Amino acid sequence: MEGHQRNLYLYERFNARVLGVSRDDIMTLKYFTKSLDLTFPLLSNVTAFLGVSMDVQPEGQPIFGRRTVIIDKTGVIRYVRDGSPDFKDILLFLKKLNQEGGKP
Amino acid sequence: MKRKALTILCSMLVMAWLAGCATTEPPKTVPYRLSPQGTVIWEDEFEFIPPPPDWKLLRVEVGENDINFGFMKSDAGGYPSVTSFAYDEEPFGCATKFEQREKEFFKRFLFNAILQFQILEKKKVQVVGGEGLAVTVEGKDPIKKEKVRAKVVFGKRGERVVGFYITQWRPMDGTYDLSAFEIFDKYVASFKFLKKSFYETL
Repeated sequence: MEGHQRNLYLYERFNARVLGVSRDDIMTLKYFTKSLDLTFPLLSNVTAFLGVSMDVQPEGQPIFGRRTVIIDKTGVIRYVRDGSPDFKDILLFLKKLNQEGGKP
Repeated sequence: MKRKALTILCSMLVMAWLAGCATTEPPKTVPYRLSPQGTVIWEDEFEFIPPPPDWKLLRVEVGENDINFGFMKSDAGGYPSVTSFAYDEEPFGCATKFEQREKEFFKRFLFNAILQFQILEKKKVQVVGGEGLAVTVEGKDPIKKEKVRAKVVFGKRGERVVGFYITQWRPMDGTYDLSAFEIFDKYVASFKFLKKSFYETL
């Protein structure tokens, strides 16, 4: 999350916006946001429908798997990677996408 | 007889496989070289004056929020007497202003040790060709009877804040070796970027 926060000025440059989605409740996310000084939105999805739609909800577990998804301006998923985000890879992809005109 | 021949054949195959592994292993490359001036050039990206030979090179696997390399030295005086320092491309926190970054950084610096830090000195410095901020702190753990003296120097690489830090651990009744901080200061003062960072090339 901190890595995304550091890269916000670059996301801005590439016309991208970042959102975090978690199964934690709003109060937990509020404190998490404050503790890391995050300024981008974190969405609380306690009922998990977003995680199910993105296929990151392991059966019987109360948390989402970690996945980075880039959606372009037409709503098409253009990038999916599991695990810790590879920030350099993400930035290079966003740069390419922006140059193509397929602004995320 | 047939079984024996099969065993020998299998052994030979295993040996051939192992030998193949040995011959195909690429030679290990060293990420640094020495310049004629006695500085170290690290991966053609950084140049700095290295510490004396009694400091060991510390390599860390690169990942989120991890340093790439640093130096450490075991000190006299028993556990936990050790000093280490490093350059960090992504110090804790996000702010691009030093004062704000310092606050964010110390929320998490050595957070596993659960120390209460006291700022001993804070001053503006020149580092990596620009203005920076140096903060010297001391943290104490009265339960474990340990203390640490640390100095953190924040500088800029392009638009991003980078950091250098040294930590020196001691038992609560131990004395700090300030000569290590002088070595660290020389390292920081000599540190140069030889090329643009990944982020500057975007």
